[in-house]
Amino acid sequence: MSSLLKRYDFIIKIDLIWLSNYVASFLLILILNFVLPRMMPGDPLHAIYGEEALIAMTPEMEAEIIKRFALDQPWHAQLLTYIIALLRGDLGYSYYYRTGVSDVILCFLPWTLLLTGLAFMISSCIGVILGIESGYRRGSKFDGFMLPIMMFLGGMPDFFIGIILLLLFGVTLGLAPLGGAMSPYAGHSGIDLVMDIAHHLMLPLITLVLVQLAPTYLLTRNAMLTTLRARFIMTAKATGLSEGDIRYKHAGRNSLLPVVTAIGIRVPNMITGALFLEIVFSYPGVGTLLNTALSARDYPLIQGVLLIVTVTVLTTNFLVDMTYTRLDPRVRYAR
Amino acid sequence: MMLEISGLVARYGEHEVLRGIDLRLEKGDSLAIIGESGAGKTTLGLAMMRLTGARLDGKLLFDGMNLLEFSEDEMRRLRGDRMAMVFQNVEDALDPVYTAEEQVCEAISAHNKWSKTRIRERARALLTAVGLDEMRYRLYPHQLSGGERQRVLIAMALANDPDLLILDEPTASLDALTKADIVELLRSATSDRISIIITHDISLASSLSKKMAVLYSGAIMEMGRTADLIRNPKHPYTRGLLRSFPSMSTTKDLQGIPGRTIPGIGGCPFHPRCTQKMEICEREVPRPVELNGRQIACHRGGIVPLLEIRDVSKKFNGFHAVSHVTLTLYEGETVALVGESGSGKTTLAKILMGLIEPDSGEILLEGERARWDAGFYRRVQMIFQNPKESISHRLNVLQAVREPLDVQKMGSEEERITSAMWALESAELPTDPEFLRRYPHQLSGGEAQRVAIARALVMHPKLLIADEPTSALDPSVQAKILRLLMDLQERMGLSILFITHDIALARKVSDRIAVMLRGSIVEEGPSGEVLREPAHWYTASLVECASICTRTVGVPAMEQ
Amino acid sequence: MHVDLWREIRSSSAGVFGMVIVAIIAGLAVSAPITAPSYRDIGPVFSPPSGEHLLGTDDLGQDIAAKLIHGARTSLMIAFGVAILSALISVIVGGSAAMLGGTYDRVCMRAVDAVMSLPSVVVMILVGAYLKPDLWLLIILISLFSWPGGARIVRSQTLSLRERLHVVAARAFGASRGYILVRHILPDLGPVLVAIMIQDARRAVLMEAGLAFLGVSDPMVVSWGRMMKQAMAFTYLDAWKWWLIPAGVLLSVTLVGFSLIAAALERAMDPRLQEDV
Repeated sequence: MSSLLKRYDFIIKIDLIWLSNYVASFLLILILNFVLPRMMPGDPLHAIYGEEALIAMTPEMEAEIIKRFALDQPWHAQLLTYIIALLRGDLGYSYYYRTGVSDVILCFLPWTLLLTGLAFMISSCIGVILGIESGYRRGSKFDGFMLPIMMFLGGMPDFFIGIILLLLFGVTLGLAPLGGAMSPYAGHSGIDLVMDIAHHLMLPLITLVLVQLAPTYLLTRNAMLTTLRARFIMTAKATGLSEGDIRYKHAGRNSLLPVVTAIGIRVPNMITGALFLEIVFSYPGVGTLLNTALSARDYPLIQGVLLIVTVTVLTTNFLVDMTYTRLDPRVRYAR
Repeated sequence: MMLEISGLVARYGEHEVLRGIDLRLEKGDSLAIIGESGAGKTTLGLAMMRLTGARLDGKLLFDGMNLLEFSEDEMRRLRGDRMAMVFQNVEDALDPVYTAEEQVCEAISAHNKWSKTRIRERARALLTAVGLDEMRYRLYPHQLSGGERQRVLIAMALANDPDLLILDEPTASLDALTKADIVELLRSATSDRISIIITHDISLASSLSKKMAVLYSGAIMEMGRTADLIRNPKHPYTRGLLRSFPSMSTTKDLQGIPGRTIPGIGGCPFHPRCTQKMEICEREVPRPVELNGRQIACHRGGIVPLLEIRDVSKKFNGFHAVSHVTLTLYEGETVALVGESGSGKTTLAKILMGLIEPDSGEILLEGERARWDAGFYRRVQMIFQNPKESISHRLNVLQAVREPLDVQKMGSEEERITSAMWALESAELPTDPEFLRRYPHQLSGGEAQRVAIARALVMHPKLLIADEPTSALDPSVQAKILRLLMDLQERMGLSILFITHDIALARKVSDRIAVMLRGSIVEEGPSGEVLREPAHWYTASLVECASICTRTVGVPAMEQ
Repeated sequence: MHVDLWREIRSSSAGVFGMVIVAIIAGLAVSAPITAPSYRDIGPVFSPPSGEHLLGTDDLGQDIAAKLIHGARTSLMIAFGVAILSALISVIVGGSAAMLGGTYDRVCMRAVDAVMSLPSVVVMILVGAYLKPDLWLLIILISLFSWPGGARIVRSQTLSLRERLHVVAARAFGASRGYILVRHILPDLGPVLVAIMIQDARRAVLMEAGLAFLGVSDPMVVSWGRMMKQAMAFTYLDAWKWWLIPAGVLLSVTLVGFSLIAAALERAMDPRLQEDV
């Protein structure tokens, strides 16, 4: 019993160290969100909302906002108000959509999550498998074919790949819709609805998968080359294991470790990539929202998007870290 | 059950890593393969499993099947089942992401379609058999100690009770006590199958193997019964290897082998480092020849006898100064002739040098009767107890050293000076004009003895007879002179007959000891053996006396 | 580790290819004042490619080819500026963390982790939206988000270099930390730094283009990303063929060039990735 308690205590301690990391990132964003508008010269109200928004506002609305953000109070009172509002889930007011920022974002977020989540899973699976095969058969025709392609793909800017695919399949060939997440007013339901959504999702998804494939592939391949030199591969061969077991159970499984570690860096990249692609494909996710907010200079909305994206990234990274300890026994016990 | 290898060649491109290996092993045989790193030991082990990346040619018969004709899949079915290998326990010989038990289970399930419970039972039985604590079955490799990991690797190799077990440096990187445990475990694991132990650790080889093969540059130089081979190496390389290995049974200071392996040369691969090479050694690869259970690949049939003393006797006024002495000195070895004053050592030395004529018996130098002509003195030189007296006080250093050349009228004036300079440098002496002009009385005892050695070296002799060469010197100077003699031996393959009364000194410098008492040799054998288990009471008393003396002095007899 | 970078890059065909690409882009950028002096001149709108306008004109009637050449200038200036500034921060933070150690080290590494797990492009969009950066501010901004990866590498390299025997030997005869840093560690960091700078340069080009594509850019500066954003509004016209595509291709080619050099460098420094087994 006591030993169990001790181990539990140990895990909590580890988690605290990790958590401190995430808390630090989160605080950084909060500070940025809070300080940046207030650092700007002139009236903080102008800074927070921008000139364009103020033109559209009535004096009553202005007064209401000043009161709401405690803008006439000293900075610590402002900070307190800011934090309390955040805790209530209040991210501010979007003058462009004329509703709460959090409500607007919640409308757009699911599409982004659908796109990035699917792209993440597909690109990881394909990238890892191709990387394992390519690394195991280094110097083969397959490897010689994949490596340059992947290096080229990895070098391209994501939004340009999107543009090319859009121009090719959407504009020229007319095989894919030019925008949106589903056909408006079509009234699809059931399987039709799913197919319609898939049809709209296809092009952005393929682009994002293509873009994300290269880093996973290259990393897996490199990890594979390193792992194949380890002595336990020789042990496995001397034990008479089958090719498949050596390739996947031993070399592959070990090569997965650095790939999982790198997810922490890939997730922000992935989300950023998705934002750009949404804009290219007019896909109604957070990226399109951000673009709208940018052109409308709806600053609270931009801030809100940033906050949500950060929280998403940090949460994924946290989950990845948890998975990693399951995958690598050395980390599980050594930390 | 039999493993038969003939003409096995392994190539990486043009480079031959193994150049024609012949081996024949039957069930119950255990063979150690020793050699320096790069000799091809591991390649040979991997080749038997067909796991090396090198291209293989020749015959590799396992139970009558030629493995070199097997497909990769047929090989896979053999590996881990009928033939298994334990690798050096480096950190990553086990997969870090699976537990010990999982990895042993995998080794079993790779060749058996058993139920999971049955596999696990067998795995646990194996882990118990190799002595892994039950609490540690479910741990990951990084949580196990080096010894425990090695046990797991052994369990994996034994999983399917293989007929052929190859151990590649199975105890490297283990501490001494763990190593002893593992050796014990391996001893039981290797019985009742063919086992091959690949190692550079001679003590490990001797405790695990019945036969031993010495590999150099991809060829077997010598092979024979392990105990025999260690006690009495016949190939110069084997002797060099044994000399450079620290063991409890040899007492001589460690010596190296001159030069280093040069890959891809023609002829005998060892010839560039061999001190007894002939012209044929550079041209032709020696074929292995078997004699009395010992196989040697050497054009000269192994280490050649340099000086043979056959039944030599000498009487002075009815007193047997030397009586029926028979002794052989091999190329490149040191034999210490130990005895008290008056035992006939110096008389024997003088007979050897032709200064006294023996009454009976004969002396052979390189297989020919010694005639004590110019040719003899070119090959045999002597250094004496009193260096200053052995050098004429009228000659300066340069003149003294070139004296033998002048006497023999060898070479031109310049050549003689060059040879003298070389000899002085070999004896680690300065060669500046000031030093060359010094006379014996201006030299210290150590310097004088070095000059005497230089003088002996100037003829490039094969044999040096050293009669108490250091007894007149301070201990620290003595240590340096002995070191010099051993270095010269290592570099030039010099044989040394070391005559001394001090058995403790003899112990540190000699390969073999011959004990002389009242004109006869009463005991002779490898130094370590003679000292550890003296057969003759006189030797025993000498050893006894020496150990009491050194114990009371409290310092080792000789330290560098 | 002694690496002759120049030789290593030349020995890999990918590396040579990358160098050629970057050299061509650099050539374009340098030649801009001569080859395209009148890129701001306004003429007829949306004219298709002709002898006068190699790639036609855009919605303002400006020559597209001339603007592309000036875009190369912007991209490479950003790449160069960020590479230097970001690598400098990496060396200062990473090197000092490794040399000083202790709490300072831990704080630095926490900061590295924190910045690395931020979605930097989105943060920069926000900051950019507020600050409306010009070229120089953009370089500083991108650098502020690029240094952590490099800092981590510099730190681990410094730590391992510090344990090298020749450095230990220098310490043993009483060399100061500063002396060791300047005399032994910085020179050995060279190859790693070059690799970091190439990566930073690539990221900077991509970020600038991305930000400009989103509209976060100085309207006074010509930028490929900005041109693509403008062209995207006219995909219903044929103009994208000589407006959007060339801009995208130039950007992609530049990025691929940097990637190829980076891959060649990575291979040069990790002997495990080299072909001979």
